[in-house]
Amino acid sequence: MNIVFALTIGSLFGLGVYQLLRRDLIKSAMGFALLFTSVNLLLLAVGAFDGVVPAYTTNEGEQASDPLVQALVLTAIVVSFGSYALLLGLVNIVSTRFGSVRTDDVNHLQR
Amino acid sequence: MAESNFLIIVTVFFPLLSGVVSLLFWGQDRIQRYIGFGAGVVAWLASLGVLLATIESGPQVYSLGGWAPPFGIILVGDYLSSIFVFMSSTVMMMGLLYAIGCNDKVVTRPAFTTLFLAMHTGLMGALYTGDLFTMFVFTELMVLSSVSLVAISDNDLGLEAAIKYLFISSMGTLFLLMGIAAIYAAFGTLNFADIGQQLATGERPFLAREAAIMLTAAFLLKSAVFPFHFWQPDFHTTAPTPVHAVLSSVVVKIGVYGLIRLTTLLFTAEDELETIQNILLVLGTISIFFGSLGAFRTYDGKRMLAYSTFGQIGFILLGIGWGTALSLAASLVYAFNHAFIKSALLMLFGVVASRTKTKSARLAEVAGVGKSLPWVVGVLYLLGGFALAGVPPMNGFISKLALVQSGVDAQAWLTLGLAVGAGILTMMYMTRTWQLVFQQKPNDDTVELKTYNDNPLAPALLITACVLLGIYAGPLAELATDAAEQILDAPIYIEAVLGESATTVAER
Repeated sequence: MNIVFALTIGSLFGLGVYQLLRRDLIKSAMGFALLFTSVNLLLLAVGAFDGVVPAYTTNEGEQASDPLVQALVLTAIVVSFGSYALLLGLVNIVSTRFGSVRTDDVNHLQR
Repeated sequence: MAESNFLIIVTVFFPLLSGVVSLLFWGQDRIQRYIGFGAGVVAWLASLGVLLATIESGPQVYSLGGWAPPFGIILVGDYLSSIFVFMSSTVMMMGLLYAIGCNDKVVTRPAFTTLFLAMHTGLMGALYTGDLFTMFVFTELMVLSSVSLVAISDNDLGLEAAIKYLFISSMGTLFLLMGIAAIYAAFGTLNFADIGQQLATGERPFLAREAAIMLTAAFLLKSAVFPFHFWQPDFHTTAPTPVHAVLSSVVVKIGVYGLIRLTTLLFTAEDELETIQNILLVLGTISIFFGSLGAFRTYDGKRMLAYSTFGQIGFILLGIGWGTALSLAASLVYAFNHAFIKSALLMLFGVVASRTKTKSARLAEVAGVGKSLPWVVGVLYLLGGFALAGVPPMNGFISKLALVQSGVDAQAWLTLGLAVGAGILTMMYMTRTWQLVFQQKPNDDTVELKTYNDNPLAPALLITACVLLGIYAGPLAELATDAAEQILDAPIYIEAVLGESATTVAER
């Protein structure tokens, strides 16, 4: 289980980096979402698989998973979702203003 | 654990609450901006109260919902965070005051005040919190609201700069999140005091050192230090003037604050501290070099000041990198004075730019604009330039003097030479732009001036504060010295947060 999880996080992260560096804002935004998903999974992996019973249960003496990481991941998901939505909104304005989402066309910031 | 101090929560959440209230006045932008300024004043008074209480009786705490740390979230006002919050809330208040007298189109947008106040809350919360994850949440609030503010800027390039910053700052956030995961895996807690206590035992669990690397990278990115600086001039230059004044002076200091916490409370063992400090020294020196040269060769007044911030942050990092009590005090004084000087100068440049037809701060367009402004603006700009370059009797001189003194103490001659050279460069570009804007004859064919300009009241107040801080430097220097002593004594912070019988998560 742990190996599978680690491989998933790693490949998601790699895909995210690759996608982020492409010359298209929509594809970059997808990479952004993938990167955040992989880091959220990393946060989850810290303490999600130790337990065999629910966190609050009457079964005494059995190991439960750490509920705090799940709370952290929920918050991190909300935050990353907010950033992602804002990013897509900005890309939408870019596409109406410039008629393109290619980074080569949206390149007016001078040195 | 000490009594909860109510003023801390007022500083953090009153602006957010007022931002929500100001949404009720949709479309009446003057009322909204007055509400915003009122919220700024209340937050400033509350932060002053916390600072005075800290000086009076040690670190102040507020535990949210009454849950005791290390399990509950806690807001801590020790010397370091109280000073930073006081500085930030002062500049924020002045930014909101400037927005009242501002003629940009962006300040009349219904969401402007709300976004500005959300940024205020994010900054205050990130500085006060004693918990790594809460810091992440508040920083994100600050980042998202500042991105929105820049995206609706009058400057058309604001949208592109906002996207650029959102991508890059999110990479910083990813580093911070990975650091949080590593810290949690290693220690099972995210409370600064608890982590510091466990690190002080000298044991280094799996992933502890990796967390140090991730957090250092995240904070360096937030404060725009050398290899991570490329977003900063674009993002700051395209921001509306009141937002730019706040971004360039206090929002970049969040990374500085994080680095001070990192090197004094968390990773204080000999070898790792030395590594982080060496990184800071090298990157700080390069930042000073590039920032000063970049400011010198740029074509736009606001951009020049943004580059100058990049250089000045380098000076603050040098103080943290030397790591003695004297140099930390010098860093605090430097950060405090720089916030006032830089925000005042940016607002003055905004006043100048508001006269031009295109509202641009390009040096070719603002040449001679100052002739039509009240003479006092020119005097204020010159005073601000002297303060930035470090000429007595301005407060910039005090901060440079303190830093040089601590550098002599630490025997770092190369960086000192660079610091003095950068001061001369600063003097050159500030007097050059002053001469260009306020002395040169206006270029009649290209410049068509407006008859009104932004209100220069806010920068006038800030420059007055700069002069006063330069003449009566004693109180601030004493405060910084006391603060540095307390910062270097980590057990004071830990005891204030966790109480006498400091227990950790691990022990429970």
